Amino acid sequence: MSNIKEYVRQREGSNISKIVIDRDLCIGAASCLAVSGETYNLDNENKAVVIDADSVDDDTLIMSAESCPTKAILLFDKTGKQIFPK
Amino acid sequence: MEKYKYVIIGGGAAGVSAAETIRQTDKGGSLAVVSDEPHALYSRVMLSKPNFFLGKIPFDQVYLKGDDWYKENQIQFLGSKTAVSLDGTNKILSLSDGSQLEYEKLLVAIGVRVRTLNIPGADKQGIHYLRTLEDGKKIMEHIKTGKKAVTIGGGFISFEMIDLLKLAGLETTSILREAYFWEPILDEPSGLMIENALTKNGIKIIKQVEIAEVTGAETVDGVTLKDGTHLPCDLLMCGIGVVSPIDWIKQSGVATNKGILANEYLETNLPDVWTAGDIAEYKDLLLEENVQMGNWVNAKEQGRIAGLNMVGNDRHPFKFISFYTTQGLGITIAFVGDVAPGQDRIIIPRGSPAINSYARIIIVGQELVGATLINRTAEMSTISKLIENNTDISTHHADLADPNFDLKKLLG
Repeated sequence: MSNIKEYVRQREGSNISKIVIDRDLCIGAASCLAVSGETYNLDNENKAVVIDADSVDDDTLIMSAESCPTKAILLFDKTGKQIFPK
Repeated sequence: MEKYKYVIIGGGAAGVSAAETIRQTDKGGSLAVVSDEPHALYSRVMLSKPNFFLGKIPFDQVYLKGDDWYKENQIQFLGSKTAVSLDGTNKILSLSDGSQLEYEKLLVAIGVRVRTLNIPGADKQGIHYLRTLEDGKKIMEHIKTGKKAVTIGGGFISFEMIDLLKLAGLETTSILREAYFWEPILDEPSGLMIENALTKNGIKIIKQVEIAEVTGAETVDGVTLKDGTHLPCDLLMCGIGVVSPIDWIKQSGVATNKGILANEYLETNLPDVWTAGDIAEYKDLLLEENVQMGNWVNAKEQGRIAGLNMVGNDRHPFKFISFYTTQGLGITIAFVGDVAPGQDRIIIPRGSPAINSYARIIIVGQELVGATLINRTAEMSTISKLIENNTDISTHHADLADPNFDLKKLLG
């Protein structure tokens, strides 16, 4: 299995319940930070980490995942279905 | 003559981000994207990453938009064409295939091109540059059979390609014109940290030299340096900077300097002509100077702002703290904000090469303007916020110099 990190999301009213970062795909381009600095940071290995999975609404979260130039951010809904990348 | 409400020249991060932004507001306005490449948007930043090159990431992952995306969004994609002249008075753009487009609003997001070698032998096979998907494919193919590589240049393309060549098992020599890696953006101690990482990985570095000639019959078999040294190699990788392809647009009256000049709204001096991405030399509100910034995040965000300004009545300023990161050979490098050298800068060292963790905090007056971080990327986001907030750090120089001081405490 690849090197992935999962973050549970418990924001009220949200359809997204899990954020997954694929650390093998992540290249530290930091476009996710540009969209949502509240959600992400880069660690000292230049990989994205989630610092607060609940801080922003679903639209912003999807935008942050869409901004990734390597599609390293995956979003899942409550039924476990992957909603991004589609 | 085809007529469009919006014409975007450039199919990269900035151009497509602008197209996407326009479509979010104006669903029906006709829109064309002209690109000098045949491809749908792909990830240019992935082209230099070892995981991609070595096949750890499926090749198709490089595409960020499919051909169907342009159709679904009613975006006319005009691939493999370049703009050759602009008539800003009659709002007509002429393309390399002889066709002309009439526009109401135009975005010039043409990017930059690689600087190429201008020495004897520069036309031989086995010499590589990296900008396009085709460039990347050629290198991917060549590293399978290549044995000995020489890289030229002391910046990020060279750094990332050295990492790749090493991983692919090529014996690699790095040639720099400068006195140390990444001069003058980094200081010498930072540069030496990078060089140590290279040397530890068996890379040979030769500094303060230039190449006089590329040798070989049709294919490269070596390079001769200006001091007469000959280095055998079968692969030559050049990362020697970029040039702005602006000659064609100068005649139209669009103001240029190194790039295409724009104000903080990314408007050029011509009515209804905007610019974005690597080619834009824009007025940076945070740095209070004209800058040309070449990186993915910046291009994407500028495309978004240009798109908003083209579609709407409100003018949105581009206000963004740029950052750039790279990693390889066991070292991470991050730049945030304004890292250009200047006499008015105060530099505070934070950490040291001895502890393998070293930042330079760059200050103008009472405020932080930028930082370079070696093995300290985790602080990039906080530094970005300190710059954005115009935090007065004049009484905190000692804190900034203490590598164990938590910078978040300065956020207030």
